[in-house]
Amino acid sequence: MTSAFISHELKAFWRSKNTGKSIAIRIVMGILILFLFGYALLLGIVLPKIIEEVSKTDPIISFCGILLVYFLFELLMRLQLQELPTLRVQPYLHLPVKRNALVTYLATTSLLSVFNLWPFLLFWPFIFQVIAPDEGAIVALAFIVSILGFSVFNNYLALYIKRKANLNGWIFLVVVIGLSLITSGDYVWHLYSLRDFSYAFFGKLIHTPAYALIPVVLALGMYYLNFVYLKQNLYLEDLNSSKKSSFKSSTDYPVLQRFGTVGDLVANEVKLIMRNKRPRSTIIMGLMFMFYGLIFYTNPKLGTSDYSAIFVGVFMTGIFIINYGQFMHSWQASHFDGLLVSRINFTDFIKAKFLLFTMVSTVAFVLTIPYVYFGWRILIIHFVMYVYNLGVNTAIMLFFANRNYKRIDLSKGASFNWEGVGATQLLVGFPLLLIPFIIYAPFRFFGVANAGLVALALIGIAGIALRQVILKGLVDDFNTKKLQIAEGFRNK
Amino acid sequence: MIEVRDIVKIYAGKTVVNVPHLEIKKGETIGLVGNNGAGKTTLFRMILDLIRPDKGEILSKGEVVAGHEHWKSYTAAYLDEGFLIDYLTPEEYLYFIGGLYGLNKAQVDEHLLSLKEFFNGEILERGKYIRDLSKGNQAKVGVAACLLHKPELLMLDEPFANIDPSTQIRLKNLLKDINKTSGTTTIVSSHDLNHITDVSDRILLMEKGVIIKDIATNSSTLAELEDYFAVGQGL
Repeated sequence: MTSAFISHELKAFWRSKNTGKSIAIRIVMGILILFLFGYALLLGIVLPKIIEEVSKTDPIISFCGILLVYFLFELLMRLQLQELPTLRVQPYLHLPVKRNALVTYLATTSLLSVFNLWPFLLFWPFIFQVIAPDEGAIVALAFIVSILGFSVFNNYLALYIKRKANLNGWIFLVVVIGLSLITSGDYVWHLYSLRDFSYAFFGKLIHTPAYALIPVVLALGMYYLNFVYLKQNLYLEDLNSSKKSSFKSSTDYPVLQRFGTVGDLVANEVKLIMRNKRPRSTIIMGLMFMFYGLIFYTNPKLGTSDYSAIFVGVFMTGIFIINYGQFMHSWQASHFDGLLVSRINFTDFIKAKFLLFTMVSTVAFVLTIPYVYFGWRILIIHFVMYVYNLGVNTAIMLFFANRNYKRIDLSKGASFNWEGVGATQLLVGFPLLLIPFIIYAPFRFFGVANAGLVALALIGIAGIALRQVILKGLVDDFNTKKLQIAEGFRNK
Repeated sequence: MIEVRDIVKIYAGKTVVNVPHLEIKKGETIGLVGNNGAGKTTLFRMILDLIRPDKGEILSKGEVVAGHEHWKSYTAAYLDEGFLIDYLTPEEYLYFIGGLYGLNKAQVDEHLLSLKEFFNGEILERGKYIRDLSKGNQAKVGVAACLLHKPELLMLDEPFANIDPSTQIRLKNLLKDINKTSGTTTIVSSHDLNHITDVSDRILLMEKGVIIKDIATNSSTLAELEDYFAVGQGL
């Protein structure tokens, strides 16, 4: 039975749309993952040196000190990123498969998470290089066993919390606040030292390696708890992670109604963004990037040079255009047929996209006004880039949107979701961010930086002034591509 | 109303639709039947300019459909959930569609009042997005959206599937009614031979992309169709 599960699982992975169908995506994914592993391993290998450099005391004491901190951090990461193995058991529930077999499989395969690999890469080199020669093989083994134990414990604890949180969102909040309090207790308020706690346990391993059994017992206990919980809740209504849904009321946006059909289309798209996880996360990401400027402007090396300001400006006022626009019109894949058949004028359809971009970019520009603190020139450059975004980048984005045939399922979450990602999506950001530099740099080179800014502004204004022409071009382009887009979107 | 000329659609070397000639007159009620894969939905999609035929053309009111939008003002269709904007509430969706045809909220509300029985209290003011409705209830929203603007041409793909028997009967009455009072041309596909012979005055039977029977409905039509489907397709 287990082998059948595994074979299905592998098929599910390779045939999933989230995996990305094109070879290019797989290669990029593979390289990214290898890079991450490589970095982790590298960090693990140089860890002994780092600890020797930084700590004044015995490196082993410092090492023991950071382990607990690591596991706290890891728990937080797991809560954010580790995926719950849930829905995929649904097709087996009604078949003559023993519940125990299902639950065992579910619980065991959750160990295959990447998170369980990090401790190997990070800590094993230290254990083999420092602890084994100094304290002997038994102590090294004790360390390995206890780290494994804590990893597994963390694994099941995170899944348990996530399962509970699926039923009640507050639990998640409580846990995250709890974890933050625990860390601030050490690093902010200095009430206690987590490193001391950590050493209190791991330090003992050196003298009594048998203590390594404690994390193993904890891990087994947590596994058992998960097992029992899963077995009791192996019902469809529990598996479909949707929370008890509240009353969904209809919403109007009176401001948008003044724009007629175009306004209605924008209103729909705003609802699309607010009511679906993945597009919503593009907005949240965008909001977080409003702080991006701080990284640049407070850094003495990068400073408040024009180059920084151009980059930060085009990025912050255009983050929505890039983040959301790169998946246009895939967001509407599930009802694209309906859009084509209904009496929507495609000019209105494209106009609505422009209006949406304009609105969100305007909000983003207003939010970045406080950066005037770093000088008026910054604000002016941000404004120039805002105009440039509206005039040029919106059009580029919509041009590429007409060439995007990949369906996106809105009901899926955002993290590690590769659905709808193709080479275009990976590359489209570059022209948007780089062209401003190509325009500006020559002016700067000849010592007329201000003229460069004027040029950027003029190009932006030209784009806005010529919008009717651009619009016509985009609509004609859309008309030649729409059937191909619709066909791509129908491919589930 | 609709004229099909030499339409051929080929997918991966296989002809899925091949209709040399078909004419549908204004006010006709057409029932489209045929087993899975007969090409019903593909034909619908080509009439709606969602798929490009490999050969031939389709005319609506004498004008070519493909690449044009004139037909949209008098055509309504519901083929599948892909026609619904599923993150909207039914009200929001219906107001949106109404708005596209120049109807304000009050007019839409007034129209929905007449569909109260059809909705059976399961659609409006339920506090759900369309995606949270059952398939049958989604179909009700889709059909309701079609009826909003009194279309001259109405196309429904398997509307009787997924909905409960009461609603099936109400839908049949709606279809007959709209044809009688507004002269609407309807093209409806279904696997339910009883219902389809009941609402259609002309039956088109498709097999492997070809219309093999084109019969005016009479008292023996149902038996004729049942014979055909019982024997199975000509092997």
